[in-house]
Amino acid sequence: MKTAKKTLRGRSIVSGHCRGTALVSEKPLSFLGGVDYNTGVVIEKGHDLKGEHLKDKVLCFPTGHGSTVGSYVLYSLVKKGFGPKAIVNQVADTVVVVGAIIAEIPMVDQIDIKQIRTGDIVEVNGDKGTVRIASKAD
Amino acid sequence: MYLTKQEERMLDGEYGWANQVSMKILVRLGDLFGAKRLIPIQSAHLSGVSYKHLGDAAIEFLNELATQGGKAETLATLNPSSLDQQILPKRYSKERSAKQGEIIELYGKMRIQPTLTCTPYYLQTPKAGQHLAWAESSAVVYANSVLKTWTNREGAPSALAAALVGKTPNYGLHQSENRQPNVQVKLETEPQTETDYGAIGIHLGKLLKDKIPTIFGLRGSDDELKQLGAAMASSGMTALFYAEAPSKSEKLETTSVEAKDVEQVMSSLCTTDQTPDLVFIGCPHCSINEVKKVAQALEGRKVRKNAELWICTSRYVKERVKNYVGVIERAGGHVLCDTCVLVTWIKDLGADTLMTNSAKTAFYAPTLNEVDVTLKPLNKCLKAVCRN
Repeated sequence: MKTAKKTLRGRSIVSGHCRGTALVSEKPLSFLGGVDYNTGVVIEKGHDLKGEHLKDKVLCFPTGHGSTVGSYVLYSLVKKGFGPKAIVNQVADTVVVVGAIIAEIPMVDQIDIKQIRTGDIVEVNGDKGTVRIASKAD
Repeated sequence: MYLTKQEERMLDGEYGWANQVSMKILVRLGDLFGAKRLIPIQSAHLSGVSYKHLGDAAIEFLNELATQGGKAETLATLNPSSLDQQILPKRYSKERSAKQGEIIELYGKMRIQPTLTCTPYYLQTPKAGQHLAWAESSAVVYANSVLKTWTNREGAPSALAAALVGKTPNYGLHQSENRQPNVQVKLETEPQTETDYGAIGIHLGKLLKDKIPTIFGLRGSDDELKQLGAAMASSGMTALFYAEAPSKSEKLETTSVEAKDVEQVMSSLCTTDQTPDLVFIGCPHCSINEVKKVAQALEGRKVRKNAELWICTSRYVKERVKNYVGVIERAGGHVLCDTCVLVTWIKDLGADTLMTNSAKTAFYAPTLNEVDVTLKPLNKCLKAVCRN
């Protein structure tokens, strides 16, 4: 791993601080129907994260879409221990915002997620609305 | 956002976890959308009821809210569930009935009424100008456009939070400056049937996304406008339309709807021309007048073998039209309450091809129910399901 410290500034959505491995998608994600709430695995057909586990990842994706019931899926994932550690969006949508609030997942939006790669170690500060890339994946 | 002392205390958890988490949702959404304060609401209407749609994930959250003291602070009603009381429970597994029952019971513990309909406005019609927090996109567009009440297009959790707090953040369609039309539509075709209204809705929803149209030349009945609105809110994000020019008319972007647009939608929504296994009327749930029309058309006819006819409505409406229900049942049709095709498992009942007069259902059923669909007006639907 290379150290390449860089801080991306966005907007605070849900407070909380954490450090973890980034899992980055280029596609909008629907939690209802898109993620198996019993395992935390992405199941949406044709999604670039299909088959990936969300557990303990800093989940970065452009925005949410789909049914508002998706918020409850995020809650359920966290309760079962399969939830992401933090959420980083380009544009927060209400489904993901409400999901992160009820599941108490730190969340930041208005971040250029193209600067983050899967495998990067990142620090999310949900109070300041920042994402710091602590070390880049090879 | 400005909060009263009581709202602050609620946010800090003094009124328990259920109120605290609800307040967090409302305040955060209010901040994101630029609300300055919370305003009281007359009622909340909640989606997120059908077990088919909801699955097990939501039960945990609802259970936590109900056990931690969540109680509705305003009139709160529920969208349709995955089951009626008489016909469907016998045809599905016991587990499905039990889970669906559990969901409704959890809402009940929170003083949310088991109305189980997408047309709560037939049970208790809110007055023009009242503020509501409604989910269910077809009810939202009807409330704003036909009833002239004020509501945003809420999702399942935000409507639930609003029910438990009795308030909603003051932004979007709660503010008059955001309710002005921003596009004009000229109807260059005369819609003949409820299905034409629905097809126009699908076309406009795709075209306009979340814009607020004034539709010139639109003179439908409330039932026809219900079809139009439900369809617009399905293919687009429409939450409000005007059927006539409001007094302040500015130079607005203009678009038109022609007969060919309606034909194009009708053919794009028909995925099969095969004889239907199931014919469904009642999306959104039928009004008294709509049940009456079905009954009158069914007088002296019989539903053919190997086909089913479902008329879906609320228990409230069904109880008021017992004579019409009798006619429909004698013809071999079913009048189902508390549910509809979109939120139950029709594929498991052996239905592969569906015919409906609802453009909203025709739009969603191929993905939500994985069936083939034909969209036809009521008289053709009944012709297809009857043997004479």
